[in-house]
Amino acid sequence: MRLPSLKGRRLVSALLFAGAALVAGAVIGACTSDEDQQQAQAVEQQTQQQDQDQPAAQVSGEPRGNTLQLIMDRGMLKCGVKQTQPLFGNRDEDGNVTGFDIEFCKAIAAAVLKDADAVEYIDASDASTRFELLADGQIDILIRTTTITSSRDMELDVDFAQTTFYTGQGFAVRKDSGINSTSDMANAAICVQTGTTTEQNVADHFTDIGLDYEPTGGLSQDVAAAFFEGRCDVLTADASDLASRIVVRDDADDYKILPQIISKEPLAPGVRDYDSDWKDVVNWVVHGLIRAEEIGLTQANVAANAANPPNTEVARLLGVPFEGGSVSTLGFDVVDAQFIQRAIAAVGNYGEIYDREIGDAIPRDCTLNALARPLPSEAVDCGPGEGGIMYALPYR
Amino acid sequence: MSAQAPAPPSPSPGGPAPSESVPLFYRRGFRRLLQQGLYVAATGLLFWYIYDALNLREFGFGFLSDPAAFKVANQWLIDIDGVTNSRINMYLVGVWASLRVVFVAILLSTVVGIVVGVSRLSSNWLVARMAMLYVEVFRNTPLLVQVVLVYAIFLVGAPLIQNSQEIGDFAFISNRGVAIPWPVPDAGWWGAPDWFVGVWVALFIAIGAIAMTVRRRRQDRERETGQPQYANRWAFGIFAIGALVTFIVLGLPVSIDKPIIEVGTTTRYLEGMVIRPEFAALTIGLTLYTGAFNAEIVRGSIQAMPRGQTEAANAVGLSAYQRMTLVILPQALRQMIPSITNQYLNVNKNSSLAYAVLYDDLFRVAGIIQNKAGHALEMFFVIIVTYMLISLVISAVMNFINARVTRVGV
Amino acid sequence: MLPPHRERARRPRSVRAREWVRRNLFPSARGTLLTALAAAVLGGITYGLIEFIFFGANWEVITHNRWLLFAGGFPREEAWRLWVSIALVFSLIGLAYGTWSSLGRRDHLFVLLVGGFVIFLMAHGGAAVWSSVYFLIAVGCMYLGYLLTYQLPRATSSLRTLQVRVVGGLLILALPIVLVLLLVGGNVGIRDLDGFVLNLILAPVGIVGGILIGIPLAVGRASNLKTISWTCTAYIEIVRGAPLLGWLFVALFILDDIIGGDLIIRAMVVMAVFTGAYMAEYIRGALQALPRGQYEAGQAVGLSQWQRTRLIIMPQALRISIPPMVGQAISIWKDTTLVTVILPLRELKGNADSAISQFEFTPDRIEAYVFVAVIFWIVAFMMSRISQRVERAQGVGER
Repeated sequence: MRLPSLKGRRLVSALLFAGAALVAGAVIGACTSDEDQQQAQAVEQQTQQQDQDQPAAQVSGEPRGNTLQLIMDRGMLKCGVKQTQPLFGNRDEDGNVTGFDIEFCKAIAAAVLKDADAVEYIDASDASTRFELLADGQIDILIRTTTITSSRDMELDVDFAQTTFYTGQGFAVRKDSGINSTSDMANAAICVQTGTTTEQNVADHFTDIGLDYEPTGGLSQDVAAAFFEGRCDVLTADASDLASRIVVRDDADDYKILPQIISKEPLAPGVRDYDSDWKDVVNWVVHGLIRAEEIGLTQANVAANAANPPNTEVARLLGVPFEGGSVSTLGFDVVDAQFIQRAIAAVGNYGEIYDREIGDAIPRDCTLNALARPLPSEAVDCGPGEGGIMYALPYR
Repeated sequence: MSAQAPAPPSPSPGGPAPSESVPLFYRRGFRRLLQQGLYVAATGLLFWYIYDALNLREFGFGFLSDPAAFKVANQWLIDIDGVTNSRINMYLVGVWASLRVVFVAILLSTVVGIVVGVSRLSSNWLVARMAMLYVEVFRNTPLLVQVVLVYAIFLVGAPLIQNSQEIGDFAFISNRGVAIPWPVPDAGWWGAPDWFVGVWVALFIAIGAIAMTVRRRRQDRERETGQPQYANRWAFGIFAIGALVTFIVLGLPVSIDKPIIEVGTTTRYLEGMVIRPEFAALTIGLTLYTGAFNAEIVRGSIQAMPRGQTEAANAVGLSAYQRMTLVILPQALRQMIPSITNQYLNVNKNSSLAYAVLYDDLFRVAGIIQNKAGHALEMFFVIIVTYMLISLVISAVMNFINARVTRVGV
Repeated sequence: MLPPHRERARRPRSVRAREWVRRNLFPSARGTLLTALAAAVLGGITYGLIEFIFFGANWEVITHNRWLLFAGGFPREEAWRLWVSIALVFSLIGLAYGTWSSLGRRDHLFVLLVGGFVIFLMAHGGAAVWSSVYFLIAVGCMYLGYLLTYQLPRATSSLRTLQVRVVGGLLILALPIVLVLLLVGGNVGIRDLDGFVLNLILAPVGIVGGILIGIPLAVGRASNLKTISWTCTAYIEIVRGAPLLGWLFVALFILDDIIGGDLIIRAMVVMAVFTGAYMAEYIRGALQALPRGQYEAGQAVGLSQWQRTRLIIMPQALRISIPPMVGQAISIWKDTTLVTVILPLRELKGNADSAISQFEFTPDRIEAYVFVAVIFWIVAFMMSRISQRVERAQGVGER
């Protein structure tokens, strides 16, 4: 008996074989991250269970999540960052992610994992999906120019740590446009990023001042490009976002950011709800970097200070004994005492990060991002109502 | 084709029901029942697992009636304020935006498809090669990239609104969009209210209906008697005369609104209609992409035509143009309709790429709502139902056309 | 008397050329006008392109970011895995070509053009000379594979059968082998698949997975057991009802509760599930196109239903459905760009977006997107060419 098509028959067997092989390949491929997944799922399930718990149980202070443990077991921090925003989070030609937000990922990785490079950067550029990535367990922490708002904190599965950058929603226009404030913007075409607080702020603001406008919304980098090509009269976003997008341009002088700020936009790292150990670590790493600047600890001198601490506070912060005394753990039993020392050694203090990643693109002096109590040597005279509010909480 | 096709692979007819001697397990009916039972159980388990995993405690559509609190761009004919309107209203605005894109892209891609498809078979070497080049380029590049590229080229290439390029003295091009004249409802010579347009349209439909009836009557008579009755000429004449009378008696219900540029701190177009760059980019992208596929379908259908048709047309002395429009294309049309319908359905689904070019279509609006309110499952349900409804409408229209086309006897 | 074409052939070359030009370009006044018009349009487009490519564009955005675009976050020290994979795939293409087809003058030209393009890209600026060498080695592997199989005597049928089996098996194993090669044993995680590499992995996974899902679905839809055919129909119609973007949305927001796992795996699952519905329809169409006699013949020789489907029906159906399936494969290849739109995965287009957010490259959007389009075009065009060859070799469409 001859069957009609041997070729075809082989094709079928081959395809079945390929299926088996593919599954095998996928399993092997998945193995590399299998553990993470299981752990991520574990966290997720835990979070879900917690959601169902009574609110009273939520505030009782017992440890709720174990993201910190998860990160330590995994040996890798999954950091959700922007990858299309100059200064804050973008990729360079080698595929590395760089920017202001990225430094905090490194600092936290250095603090927790003793290795600033043990970070996996996951793209959270799309504002519309970022919180889902966090809630989903795809990322451990969201450091992506995200504004703290009450509704996000309450409604979403996100909890915010110490603010890393203070800004407010501003407006960028062409210098020759003659627009000087939002009251000049009747019927203006406004480019705005969707899925953000800015989208809602601008709608509210224009309702308040009784003007109409024509929105064009989309991803941050797309609306910015559209604005620079003349699609819109106005680009609205966080003032820092506007500055970062203007400063990288050759024709930066043709644009200006209006002094008018219509909202508060404190940008902070976000973690999942009910995950207090992890949130504490994130929080105190940020404070530690600010504190380091307040007392003049830098990336360069941190080792020397750790070897020979000048006073008890530095010893405490860096987790080293002072004149033969014992080491204070600062009450942290989840990470070792030297976590802030490692963070500073990895990325420097807050001021160093700012100067390195943002520098003159967004001047710092006398803005909210300046230290509330600058070192005497670095103090500048600010106008009335100006001045920084970066203020580290005490390490005791 | 599917209707007449032989039945799918089926278990053998196997003759009459098995006799008593066959054990229950080997009986045909029992095995079928067992197979299906097992299958249903497995599927049921899977669904139960999914249902359980989704944790549907909060499933419901109530959130759609909450206030939207966002604005939607690219509105046309409707002007809905997102701050006070409900989310479902904003979603419908998005649906309307999608429908416009789909409709225009379908029309344009058909035109492009026919022109390019016919050109590919042109005896002119250059034209045929250019058509081939077009097809190969646009069929083999991602639609997403085409759309963003068209958008970027338009924004970079077109001038700023302050130095809009004027076409004639009735239209402007800038990267704020293309402003063209557009009819607006008008009073007519005796100052009627806005709803008067409705009267006009109704009258036109009535006249059209009369004309069509006359046409059918005369066609029937032609078939019965064999005498030429000039049905089309009659119908056209009646329609023209009716329209003329209406026009003379009632006046034109619309006036043509020419766009003007309002210069101020914020320059903008007033009056007329503005085709926004986002709409244009998406529509052009969809048109170019789908047009390439349509061209291949058109070419295939024409090539599938028996050579005798061409030769017959040549024999009766038709010109190349007549041969194509009177003999080849009408017949090829029948063959291409199923494939073309598929392409139209793809246009519908591909319109979701608006997500990438700042055009607020239904998918993007749904995304915004989901971002604000959660309820991903419900929103996805709404999205898929909407796309399916639009697909159903497209299929229905194409089936209607198909029925019309195939009914005309050869 | 000779037939007309023979007679033409006997005329001198210049006369023939002149006649060809007259016939094909200037047959009549109207034809000449058409030619002139077409030439004007073509000239305009060509001028615009040349002007843009050689004078207007700043290609620095591409050459500077070639690694970002190619592999993004893939660990640099593991780059050899990529090169070995590429060489492997190239030599497989060569083997396949040698086995089932032959390289014509156009193919060599295509390889030359694309190879030149890639080498120019990598050699520009000098830093990646070694990459050019690796790429050249890969191309060399392709020709080596081609010569190896093409030289084999085609007459001896047993050797030929062996050759077909070995090459076919290798082709089918290619994807798992490449996955293992990339992911096993180093510090390459599945999330490190990035940039163009991600496109190159996602598409085959979607295609192979889609065929594997599609076959049972097609058989199921055609089944005369009502429950099976209904559920298969429902699956196919629902999946085809929503756009891929919608299903990626599902991967992000809904699948986390159902299958969980890394998003890249979920994206692969969604790609396969989505493609499966389309593949199923093509296979079903082929099943319906099979003459009834095939089913009956199967019964007549006493094959069971399973044997009939596996040995008689499916092989033929798959052969018939190769052309539309290749069309779908190309479509999925292009659709891999969509993962960036919804999911936090950075494929080629996504990394191009990063490139144009860098300091000096913000005005170079068009360059970046044109480059992405060209890269996708090259692979899609290659796929369609290879499929044409396969069709011809397999005699698809011939009765």
